[in-house]
Amino acid sequence: MLSRRAAYLCATLTIAVLPLVFPDAYWRTNLIVCALNVMLAIGLDFVLGYAGQLNLGQSAFYGLGAYASTLLIMRLGLPFWVAFAAAVAFAGLAGIVLALFAMRLRGHYLAIASLGFAVITYQILLNWISLTQGPLGIYAIPPPPTLALPGLPPIGFRNLANLFYLVAGFALLSYLLLDQLIRSPIGETLTAIREDEVSAAALGINCAAWKVFAFGVGSAVAGAAGCFYAAFVGTLVPDAFFITESFTILAMVVVGGTGTLIGPVWGAILLTVLPELLRGIGDLRLVVYGVALTLVVLFIPGGLAQAARLALARLRRAEAP
Amino acid sequence: MTVVLQQGINGIVLGSLYVLVALGLTLVYGVLVQINFAHADIVTLGAFSAYFFMHGLGGGYIPSIAVALLVGGILGWLMNAAIFAPLREKGSELLPLIATIGVSVMMENAMLAWFGPIPYAFDSPYSNHVMRLGGTFITLQNALIIAVSAATIALLYAFMKFTFLGKALRAVAQDRETAGLMGINPNQLVMLTFVIASALAGMAGAMLGPVLVLTPFAGTSVIVKAFAIVIIGGFGNVEGTILAGLVVGLIESYTTQYLGPGMIDIVVFVLLLLMLAVRPTGLIAERREENV
Repeated sequence: MLSRRAAYLCATLTIAVLPLVFPDAYWRTNLIVCALNVMLAIGLDFVLGYAGQLNLGQSAFYGLGAYASTLLIMRLGLPFWVAFAAAVAFAGLAGIVLALFAMRLRGHYLAIASLGFAVITYQILLNWISLTQGPLGIYAIPPPPTLALPGLPPIGFRNLANLFYLVAGFALLSYLLLDQLIRSPIGETLTAIREDEVSAAALGINCAAWKVFAFGVGSAVAGAAGCFYAAFVGTLVPDAFFITESFTILAMVVVGGTGTLIGPVWGAILLTVLPELLRGIGDLRLVVYGVALTLVVLFIPGGLAQAARLALARLRRAEAP
Repeated sequence: MTVVLQQGINGIVLGSLYVLVALGLTLVYGVLVQINFAHADIVTLGAFSAYFFMHGLGGGYIPSIAVALLVGGILGWLMNAAIFAPLREKGSELLPLIATIGVSVMMENAMLAWFGPIPYAFDSPYSNHVMRLGGTFITLQNALIIAVSAATIALLYAFMKFTFLGKALRAVAQDRETAGLMGINPNQLVMLTFVIASALAGMAGAMLGPVLVLTPFAGTSVIVKAFAIVIIGGFGNVEGTILAGLVVGLIESYTTQYLGPGMIDIVVFVLLLLMLAVRPTGLIAERREENV
């Protein structure tokens, strides 16, 4: 196995090389979408895969991050990075509010409560026209400001390769952060809650507080993805944050493998790239999400991560008879 | 006053359709303690099969409701055989729910590819017959909806209450293992529940078709309200679901009248979240409390 340091180095190198391998705007756009989806998926996996809470509200936090940062920039004229920090905090707070609310609920009730939260958020974005311009959308959102590092030429983010480096860098940073959390005693605590809440409580774990924490972190990561989404696409309409977006993110996590952090990364990349490769079959390509999700749950509930582990184990056995 | 009455009638029409959809969710939850997300798409496919039966095959509207019922029943049978039965042995709480989300996404996008995103004009021949009731109006279509829904709900209620199968079903819902020991085959009854639940959804689809904007996503807007209804009414509780369905229908029509149609989902879901916070067992107290 690669050591962790080597793995992160590999990931950094891959991110550095990718825009050079794909010089055309179409695939660079897809790369950025991949990076955004990776953030959304690992954020959800922290809540679903580790704390064991089925959260169908990820689309809402994504949308809240996007709208909060955009409105702060365009209405109040705040600098991008200040708005970014505020929007991440806002999305995290929204996650905490939902979690406080849903603290007493588990399983299906939590799933529906979080779905209800996503529906309400979507409807507010759609109907609070004086603030969000509703279905008309917000246009001409500026990209992140040009970065001027001493001794280097200025780095502009209208350039898709630079924007990819920025978003993928933050995706890697989020991964690193979540990975550290998971490897710390906090990760053990969350897994204990996932496996058996009553036993966890008997060990002196404050389940409610840790669930709130997991929701806060997961939704803050989604909020960060939302900020970048707005700055990348340049227009915002509420439809981008409809509840089906939550299902798409869920599919990425489950297909990749819940309860592993690397699985959802691959799930997000696969389910972003696959529909693009299938453009030839028209609208039917979107069926991929549903088919992949259903088949994975039925046949390999551990997702790609489990499939890879099984394949590796089989290889080892074949090598050493 | 007339406006209040008129919107009351509209609310009951809508509410009785929601009840049909929500009853299916509640029945399945009763025997399986599982949620079927693809219930929404059974509603949509029910509406489309009724539409194509009328416009493609030249059938009448009332037979088309029967066709939708049949299509719904078959889909329910498939859903149970393909998803719920194989996953039951694995014993996870959330896996079946996630699988049905997968089925739902799959069905929605397949319908999108075949039927396109443009809304279909599903006209019922009875929509133009208007009857006067005091100062209010009711179309023959709406009267039909109320009559068919009421008859269906009454039949279902009688079935659950008085027939052997209905009693066996309730026994399975209360305690599957003990019911099995009494010589009831729980697997067959789960299948029967699925078929009934989905047939109700298909039928509701045929009657919702002319009310809703008929697109491949029509069922989604209905199902989120149906979820709210089953939670407000108490999961697995038939009486509570009927009551909550009518209440949500009335809320929807009065919200449209006084606050604007954009507020419907907000009002319904704020009510849902309040219910979850204050009284998660539903309007009518429930025995099952493992999720709250």
